[in-house]
Amino acid sequence: MTVSAFDRRSLLAGLLATTAVGGAAHGGNSILKIGVISTLSGPGATWGLPIDGAARIAAQEINGRGGLKVGGERLQIEIVAYDDQYKAANAVTAVNRLIDYDGVRFILGPIASVSLSAIKPITESRKVFLFPNSWSPTVFQDARYVFRISSTTREFLPKAVEWLQQAKPGISRVATLAPNDETGWTSQKVQKEIYGKAGYTVVAAELFERQQTDFRALVTRILAEKPESIELDTAPPATAGLIVRQAREAGYNGGFTKFGGFDVAEIVRTAGAENAEGIVGILLADPTSESWSRLKEAYATYHKNEASDFVTLFYDAARILFAGIENAGTIDDPESIKASIEGLSPFPGSLGPLRWGGKENYGIDHQLYTPVFLTEVREGKGRVISRIETA
Amino acid sequence: MLVALGFTLIFGVMRIVNFAHGEFLMLGAYGLYVFMQMFGLPFGIALVLATAVTGVLGVAAEQLIFKRLVDSELGGMIASLALAISLQGTVAAVFGVDELAVERPVTGAFHVGPMTVPRDQLLAAGTALLLVWVVYQVLQRTSFGLAMRAVAQDRDVARLQGIKPRRIYAIAFGLSCALAGAAGALVAPLYTVEPYMGEEPLMKAFIVVVLGGLGSIPGALMAAGMLGLIDAVVSVLAGPTAATLALSCAVLLVLLARPAGLMGRA
Repeated sequence: MTVSAFDRRSLLAGLLATTAVGGAAHGGNSILKIGVISTLSGPGATWGLPIDGAARIAAQEINGRGGLKVGGERLQIEIVAYDDQYKAANAVTAVNRLIDYDGVRFILGPIASVSLSAIKPITESRKVFLFPNSWSPTVFQDARYVFRISSTTREFLPKAVEWLQQAKPGISRVATLAPNDETGWTSQKVQKEIYGKAGYTVVAAELFERQQTDFRALVTRILAEKPESIELDTAPPATAGLIVRQAREAGYNGGFTKFGGFDVAEIVRTAGAENAEGIVGILLADPTSESWSRLKEAYATYHKNEASDFVTLFYDAARILFAGIENAGTIDDPESIKASIEGLSPFPGSLGPLRWGGKENYGIDHQLYTPVFLTEVREGKGRVISRIETA
Repeated sequence: MLVALGFTLIFGVMRIVNFAHGEFLMLGAYGLYVFMQMFGLPFGIALVLATAVTGVLGVAAEQLIFKRLVDSELGGMIASLALAISLQGTVAAVFGVDELAVERPVTGAFHVGPMTVPRDQLLAAGTALLLVWVVYQVLQRTSFGLAMRAVAQDRDVARLQGIKPRRIYAIAFGLSCALAGAAGALVAPLYTVEPYMGEEPLMKAFIVVVLGGLGSIPGALMAAGMLGLIDAVVSVLAGPTAATLALSCAVLLVLLARPAGLMGRA
């Protein structure tokens, strides 16, 4: 139960907001501030902190070569980050502060659909660019300056479910569970639709509160429907690990999939290696790649936790943004910058060429098609099964 | 139950609503993590040490902050809120915001017919019940417990009997925080450890204490049992969201019938 009559974490946000305000005051001539709105604390921090880390790595690289070349000027990049704690109200506070106080016009994040829905009307009216990784299908509704930076369930799930059918043909009854918020509602809707189309019977579709840690009642309800596979959807990885452990203790012997936000280390840590064995999920970057290793190393200078696959996504997103601004030759003309970013297709990303698309599904070509990696937990480690192209 | 017991103990004795109580639970969980995972101590010893350290920190908080705020309900609330935020921030800065896992002392489950009882939960629940029983016996059957109850009922009369309320405050606050720390150390292996883990138990404890009657220990125990039963049954039958609704309705109905709570003083 998450009763929050007096929301202390909102107050805490003021203390924990990792604002890197240093050097020149806001509005300084040679500094370009890039905003980050992300989940920097709580269960979503596994995904949220890498946005901040990735932005700082990309900024450091630009600053290291003298700054971002815009027109005839070199601009030093400064990252200003705020914690939305996966809450709309905090995201609104953050975006107002970023725009009105920090003078930011480009924002990396958020990841929470609820945060994006809340801030989008503000950023659109002020022509502020957003680079989120929210998986809501309504991300591009009434939006001209939103660029989604990774493939979503809609793009990769049909192929992942196809793999499941071929690899585990005995499964026909699937249960799915997701967080009880906009992210979970939208992803669960897509999951039910795609599993259903593939011929599976979705025997249970449950929602849980993000702060929940005891899932025994929920697991009891699900197991009563006798599923042969449980889809962990967009459950935060540490939470997913707890669900796996509690389901195993309740006697569940079937399989688990997590086709929505995967982190092998986190799941193994909370589920235990034995319980996590055989879980198949989707990673948004290749854990064996040289680029992820390099980014992990660089990330360690900014944050204590291990960098998740989001570090690769947002590192590329930051690079696309910087390239778009440089090519436009201005930071003051949103239309030129938008056209410039749209023109960066294909873009040489860490995972290979990245392309904008999505007009047929979303009405605008602002969806970045990134490959995903089907990964299985084996002896506590992630083993990539196959790379899925989503374009 | 342990958290609610400590929460109501502080209010009963000092008239302070300690919103940092959940953070003492969190400190207990981190204490267990440090003693078990970093120092390699066995669970039993780590549990005792984590509980003791949290109790000592509670006494320090009382001496440094709360002893000046006895009877100032608003001042106590604001100070405890500030302490909660500071503790969360400090722990986040030291340990990071990652959810940490603690090795479980026992694993597996008992299966009795259709019932499944995880061993680790049974251990935690049994230890918690034992602690509640011990504290209740101390409060009811010892001269120290009598002194604490006397201070809670009428401080001036207690003082006339030679009882030193200031000493009682420190001990009550420390005991209460130790109980929260024990609760944190007991749940740490069951779930995960993170800087904000105290919020939800605090909210539940707050509801339990209000429902039971602020300051009433038997009321808190009765309310904890009642709400736990409603939560478990409705969660299984209709899901966690319905359980939250059912809990809120139950609290509303009880408070409408008995505004001071099940066993509170009007």
